[in-house]
Amino acid sequence: MNTAAHVFRPRLNAARRAEGLVFWLFRGATYLILACGAAVFLNIVFKGAGTVFKTEAPFVNVAFLTEAPESLYIFEFEGKKYELGDTAFRAFKEANPAAANVKTESYVYSAGGIWPCIVGTVLLVVGSMTIALFLGVCAAVYLTEYARDGAFIRFVRLAILNLAGVPSIVFGLFGFGMFVIFFGWNVSLLAGWFTLAFMVLPVVITASEESLKSVPKGFREGSLALGATKWQTIRSNVLPYALPGILTSSILGIARVAGETAPIMFTAAYVVRDKLPWDVDKASDFFFQGVMALPYHIYVVSSKIPQNEYTERVQYGTAFVFLGIVALIAAASILLRTRLRNRYKW
Amino acid sequence: MVTTSSAVMESPASASASGKIQAALPGRSPRTAGLPAGSAPATAAAPAGATLIDIRNLDFYYGASQALKDISLEIEDHKVTAFIGPSGCGKSTLLRCLNRMNDLIDDTRVARGTIKIHGVDIYQPDVDVIELRKRVGMVFQKSNPFPKSIYENITYGLRLQGVKDKSRLDAIVEKALRGAALWDEVKDRLDASGLGLSGGQQQRLCIARAIAVEPEVILMDEPCSALDPVATAKIEELIQELRARYTIVIVTHNMQQAARCSDRTAFFYLGKLIEYADTREIFTNPANSQTEAYVSGRFG
Amino acid sequence: MNEPVPPAAAPGPDRAATFAIRKKRVKLLGLTVDDCIKVFFGGNAVVSIIVLALITYFLVREGAGFFGQNRQNLQVYRQAGLEYVDFIRTQSDEHTALTRYLSDLRLRALRQLTETQGLSLDAANTALAPFDDYSGKFSDAVEPVRGLVSELTEVATAIKTKFIVNEDKKEERRQLLAEGKTAEAAAVVITSVDFAAELKPLLGTLPAYQAANAEFTAKLTAVLAAPPTLPTPELTDRLQRFATLARDYLATFPAVERNLAAWDFRQPVPAAQSFTAFIFGRQWLTASFWQDWYGIIPLFVGSLLVSLVALSLAVPLGVGAAIYINQIASPREQKLIKPAIEFIAAIPSVVLGFFGIAVLGQALRLLSQQSWLSWVPGFPYSERLNILTAGCLLALIAVPTIFTLAEDALNNVPRAFKEASFALGASRLQTTLKIIVPASLSGIISAVLLGLGRVIGETMVVLLCAGNRIAIPDFTQGLAFVTEPVHTMTGIIAQEMGEVVRGSIHYRALFVVGLVLFVVSLLINFAAQKIVRRYRISIG
Repeated sequence: MNTAAHVFRPRLNAARRAEGLVFWLFRGATYLILACGAAVFLNIVFKGAGTVFKTEAPFVNVAFLTEAPESLYIFEFEGKKYELGDTAFRAFKEANPAAANVKTESYVYSAGGIWPCIVGTVLLVVGSMTIALFLGVCAAVYLTEYARDGAFIRFVRLAILNLAGVPSIVFGLFGFGMFVIFFGWNVSLLAGWFTLAFMVLPVVITASEESLKSVPKGFREGSLALGATKWQTIRSNVLPYALPGILTSSILGIARVAGETAPIMFTAAYVVRDKLPWDVDKASDFFFQGVMALPYHIYVVSSKIPQNEYTERVQYGTAFVFLGIVALIAAASILLRTRLRNRYKW
Repeated sequence: MVTTSSAVMESPASASASGKIQAALPGRSPRTAGLPAGSAPATAAAPAGATLIDIRNLDFYYGASQALKDISLEIEDHKVTAFIGPSGCGKSTLLRCLNRMNDLIDDTRVARGTIKIHGVDIYQPDVDVIELRKRVGMVFQKSNPFPKSIYENITYGLRLQGVKDKSRLDAIVEKALRGAALWDEVKDRLDASGLGLSGGQQQRLCIARAIAVEPEVILMDEPCSALDPVATAKIEELIQELRARYTIVIVTHNMQQAARCSDRTAFFYLGKLIEYADTREIFTNPANSQTEAYVSGRFG
Repeated sequence: MNEPVPPAAAPGPDRAATFAIRKKRVKLLGLTVDDCIKVFFGGNAVVSIIVLALITYFLVREGAGFFGQNRQNLQVYRQAGLEYVDFIRTQSDEHTALTRYLSDLRLRALRQLTETQGLSLDAANTALAPFDDYSGKFSDAVEPVRGLVSELTEVATAIKTKFIVNEDKKEERRQLLAEGKTAEAAAVVITSVDFAAELKPLLGTLPAYQAANAEFTAKLTAVLAAPPTLPTPELTDRLQRFATLARDYLATFPAVERNLAAWDFRQPVPAAQSFTAFIFGRQWLTASFWQDWYGIIPLFVGSLLVSLVALSLAVPLGVGAAIYINQIASPREQKLIKPAIEFIAAIPSVVLGFFGIAVLGQALRLLSQQSWLSWVPGFPYSERLNILTAGCLLALIAVPTIFTLAEDALNNVPRAFKEASFALGASRLQTTLKIIVPASLSGIISAVLLGLGRVIGETMVVLLCAGNRIAIPDFTQGLAFVTEPVHTMTGIIAQEMGEVVRGSIHYRALFVVGLVLFVVSLLINFAAQKIVRRYRISIG
């Protein structure tokens, strides 16, 4: 008769309302996190886009991306207000001798671009990831293919877990103590590479192990049963199938390497450097030179110069470019991983 | 359930299955005649019934638990030997001992006893496991073609041995695929991925891959357990053909399969060899009551 | 096809001969090629152990010298008489603190008079005249002692400078000798400092101090005997409190005198003291003209407070989100939100720090100045960069870690638990809170611990946003401490490492701070693993 009268009809009581409320709280927490992330992201994107992009062709601020940082000079001359970079200011003074003693306000690094920082970051990432991938993949091969459970392996795993928890600044101190001072490499690319490589090593090992484990056991047994040696099996029947997975998972490691500031502060990064890394006298100098790097540059421009309308341009611009690079890497990693999972189903 | 299956086992049909094996035996000679010239006389010269693999008092452990208890068994040359028994009875373990695949599993050991092939104890320290596995091939329960082309799958083992000559590889691929009764089905798509084949074809590809390296013994670990009846029939037919050239040891869950395609059958139970005899004997007149209970379907 | 005879085709007896499975492999140092490859890979696996060992070694190597140097630092502090002077200085400083209490009291009284009682400023000042007289007398009373302090400070500093110059010269000579320049080394004049003689004038002031102190005591007692009246009872209470404090202060005078009389510069500094001075030291003071102190407490407390604020925000959010995603959300939401949160994890910390400086610090300060929020402890505040700003940003760093690990833990709860609970008629909320969460609790706790490890080791955010004031926050106002700036262990290393002289005590102190961080992170990791292991067993 009455549909609502049966025994199983839903009852709206206090317990149900409480349930709804609690669920909404959890939902609220989730979306609050996303909102915070989005706030940071959008703030930097919107303000930074103004520096990096332009409304007219070629739509990208080429100078910002391709020039070195310069000091910014702000002054009034003959009733007009100028904002000039270092080079332009000197040219201006030559052109207008009367301006020689003009009163200026100046801000370091607030003009020009961030090209040396981009170059430095790319070099640091490429070098350290090469080292980390080599060491990490080899270690993972040992752990998945060769190692037999025992005290030693448990010790290795414990070390990897603990290494993952070591603060990045401690890696910086370690790199400083070992590479910069003990090995005498000074502040250099090489010191930065090794410091960063050791820092992401646990990430790479874990990622590689996961990929290696996802290669079916049958591939190994099949190959061994045909009289292949262990190494032949690994080389021809395990690594090739694990490699895409290793690389995609390691991209997250790249994001970490690119994003860290603390480890390179005393090992590889210079506040400012006029020469680009390839301007070296002899090839070996390449490895023993410090570089500018995007994260460190952000630290410098956000802590060492005041916040105002003149400096904001370079601050937000740098943050935007950096965040853009890291976000691209991270997004690529997340997307590729999902796709890979769908593709490789043995 | 019990009565039906025992009825099947004891029915004339099963007897005729054994009969077929006997019928197949004389047919072997003409078939081998069709095989490459090099191998035919060898088969003819091989003393059928001579012991190839000699297992003596074998004890085998996984960690602390004993998987095989005092196994002694002689596997004869150019015969199909079937290992049967309920799950966990140790038959697969024993099979994997024969080419030392158990070495790959942590914490396993042969505690006592010997396995001799051609009189060579394969567990001696001076034995090279790689060489052993080249001579003793294996086909697994779950077909495991590599995610490479069919051609590469077959030549994989040979390339490892350093064979690079293209024409020779081509010849061997054809021979192996023919040997595995797969040639006609795949000859037009040798470059297609081995993973694109059907389950039965994949398993035959794995057999072809195994025989491409010319082993003497082929171990088959429940090769048909994941296949449908039609594919199973094809594999069984293939086993009949292969016995002419190889010594085959097959582990199976399926008693009819053992009855249909093996010459000798060993029944294992709880890590012990209960009975080992001619297949017909085991299925028609088992000496042991446990064997009888198992083959008649009362347990397992 | 007429290839070398395959083994299967060989005639009977020869077949056994060709069954050559005993093959000698090429050996190198008793290892086959395959063994060598294995060793090679194994070597790489050991790298992580080696790196951990190297980190420990280099932190200890660079840091170990600190304790010796600090002991000497403390020794000089004593020998040059700085410690002696500091006894008196502390007395004078405490007086200053009391004076500050009085001026705070006056400010309150003035506000009360003008705002609540509606007096004009002049009238209010007149009303407070007796109080001003009182506090003026109180603050002037210290003069003789303070004069003595500044006098003695110069003496002690001179002794210390002399000693340090001498040490530098010794070092110079050592270097010259090491370079083989004997003549130049001999030319370096070293006059060893005779502390006993140098300290004589300093110690000779004891009678003068005693006289000054007696005068000081007398004045204070007189002042305290005649307290003024204040307009409101609430303030009278405060004045009474002041009187108590001042009397307590007076009571410490004999102890100061005793300390001075008993002081002996020859008393050695025990080795342990250099250690305890670091671990329990409440001051981190460097490049000071007087005396450098390396006490980790303000930094440690700073790190801890920032982390606690971050966790108190991140734990409810992260765990709540994990429960939502794991138990409540639709599959489509899951697919979108999980990568989005992973994406947040990829935002570099320096960018977050920049966001804190550029936006969040200012925004939070503005928020704190809203009148409807004035009930919040510590609001309104004026320091843009403080514990709260850094804590909020660190929370955003900790959330992805906590979320991911907590979600994993929830995922690991067997489905059967959930189904069994549903089958008994439990609601979704009941099932989640009473079955799923308790079953995964240890996993969630270890997620929180690892989040803590992540936060406590974070550098750039705290360096940019925590305010970098080396001081232990004032806890007397309750939760208001979150609006104070602090400095942290990670921040101090990042900030000062670039500026210190290699091998100096300051340099080594930073390495010891790094060592402390390292040990803390290992302990946190260890605890998290321990908990996870127990959890695996409990799930069975």
